[in-house]
Amino acid sequence: MTDHSLIDPVGTGARRLAAPGPKKRRRQGRLAPYLLLSPALIIVLALFGLPLVVMFLLSLQDWSQVGQFTTTLQGRWTGLTNYSTELTSTVFWSTTVRTVVVSVLMVGGSMIIGLLFALLMRRISTWARYLLTFALILVWSIPALVSSLVYGWMFNRQYGIINVLLGYNNVHDWLTSETDGWFVVILVVIWGAVPMVTIMMYAALTQVPKELVEAAHIDGANGWQTFRSVVEPIIRPVVLIMTSLSVFWDFQVFTQIFVLFNDQPQTQFYNLGVWSYIEGWQHQDYGTATTITALTMVIMLAVTIPYLRQLLRIGGDSK
Amino acid sequence: MSSTAFTPAQRLEREAGPSAPALVRPRSRRATRRSVVKWVFNILAVVISVVWIFPIYWMLIVAVTPLGQIYSIHPQLIPGNVSLQAFRAVLADPSFWQAFRNSLVVTFSTVVVATLIGFLAATAIARFRFRGRNSAIVMIMIVQMVPLIALIAPLFYVYTKVGLSESLAGLIVGMLALTLPFCIWTLRGFVAGVPAELEEAAMVDGCTRVGAFFRVILPLVVPGLISTAIYTLIQTWTEFQFTNFMISEPQHYTLPLYLNNFLGTNQEVLYNEVMATALLMAVPIVVLFLLVQRQVASGLTAGAVKG
Repeated sequence: MTDHSLIDPVGTGARRLAAPGPKKRRRQGRLAPYLLLSPALIIVLALFGLPLVVMFLLSLQDWSQVGQFTTTLQGRWTGLTNYSTELTSTVFWSTTVRTVVVSVLMVGGSMIIGLLFALLMRRISTWARYLLTFALILVWSIPALVSSLVYGWMFNRQYGIINVLLGYNNVHDWLTSETDGWFVVILVVIWGAVPMVTIMMYAALTQVPKELVEAAHIDGANGWQTFRSVVEPIIRPVVLIMTSLSVFWDFQVFTQIFVLFNDQPQTQFYNLGVWSYIEGWQHQDYGTATTITALTMVIMLAVTIPYLRQLLRIGGDSK
Repeated sequence: MSSTAFTPAQRLEREAGPSAPALVRPRSRRATRRSVVKWVFNILAVVISVVWIFPIYWMLIVAVTPLGQIYSIHPQLIPGNVSLQAFRAVLADPSFWQAFRNSLVVTFSTVVVATLIGFLAATAIARFRFRGRNSAIVMIMIVQMVPLIALIAPLFYVYTKVGLSESLAGLIVGMLALTLPFCIWTLRGFVAGVPAELEEAAMVDGCTRVGAFFRVILPLVVPGLISTAIYTLIQTWTEFQFTNFMISEPQHYTLPLYLNNFLGTNQEVLYNEVMATALLMAVPIVVLFLLVQRQVASGLTAGAVKG
């Protein structure tokens, strides 16, 4: 402990032998968290607070008699009628089921592939890691608007490369049947989501000391056991965050669907977000649109409650 | 993170040993097998990179194909006719550079501010117990669930009232609100991953609380900071929906709006220029990433913990 700065280039130790004054920090500790938190909270609340309230109020209104949206709540107040209408309609439930199924496939796909890629990145040579990261960052920096255009292009019936490669020259139309269409949407989303998941997971994996993994190997643990008991506990917070965020994002997949189906997706390609957008911005029925959105949020919350609880618990453990 | 399977004491014990393996053994069969496995993984990584990059290769093909030949019934993996016309046209367009500057201003400000105040908020949540802590966590989580589209109309109303619409400052504030929740969440995980004992040891040894933040926590969460900065960077650089609603004047366009401008016209869409723009947009990000690559890819934390 007496040897410090020289062998400690990052300054993590910083163990200067000064007079200890531990009482002082108690007082600082009271206000400190609020001071640290306030800039971020103010910005987020200022931007999301009022619009969220307005959104909720809109969902209590009937807009079928009103035309354009002109910034005020000018619909007819109907209480919870919109909610009961949606909750009893078959369209709402079939769209919900579709949204959930598609999201599960997207989240599962991107999380599993991302995790496998991140684990792979730990075991390859530096040049290969550079290559893979380069590819992933390149993919990540392509806006969804453009990637959807390219996929639409690649899967085009007439001049798409996929049909050529598969030998289906000019016969198979990928964007009409429900399963094939969703397959392409899911592919675009997973393709675009994997880079971020991989990079985040890899950053988390760097917190796992290699020595610990080796020790587990020497003690006779196989790969899966090592992962379960050494690696997984350390990366769990990041896995939880990435999973819940993926749920939120994949529930709201929008650009990909709109671009792939030329701004006019058939009803079989509606998810809750697209449906709400069509009701609101194309049919000017803001009451229904905001009701769908509010219900979507309730569903997302329900899906992620186990994760949220675990996150709160993890947070509560640390000092 | 407290479930972390080791304590700092164990770490110190580990570090006490010689840093390089003292045993120099002849190359065993096990070692040979390990290097074979490594090469198999390397090849796998190459294959994955090629597959993942293929759609971008296809963008490049579209960008270098003369417009008339894009709609070919017989698409080829290697184009016969290469023309850099689209790239030249975009690079010679002054409004591309205007949009580039706007994007640069918005992205740079957002990344710096979001990383900084995101780190502060994450430290508050990860390191302090205080009244309202759980509500703050839940709020940050719920904010992530709100579909942006649903908020656009009321948000636009607020922005016009405050005079923030049609300005880059307004975009920066908006992008901060959109990216901060993620930054806070992710950084919280990284800060929580730093054993509190390390920080306490520093304070016992005379470091102030603030000093402990900067000398102990900050260096250890650098990989987390870099990955959230990259997230914010890419998110802001490519953001379209929010910007599209708040900005209508071409002199305030960011690159995604410039790109979208190609698609909105009634004339034939210049797909080769769209793709060229998208590829040019990716260049700064990739270059920047290659510069910080070492920090991300070399497992900096693993080294930094050795304190």
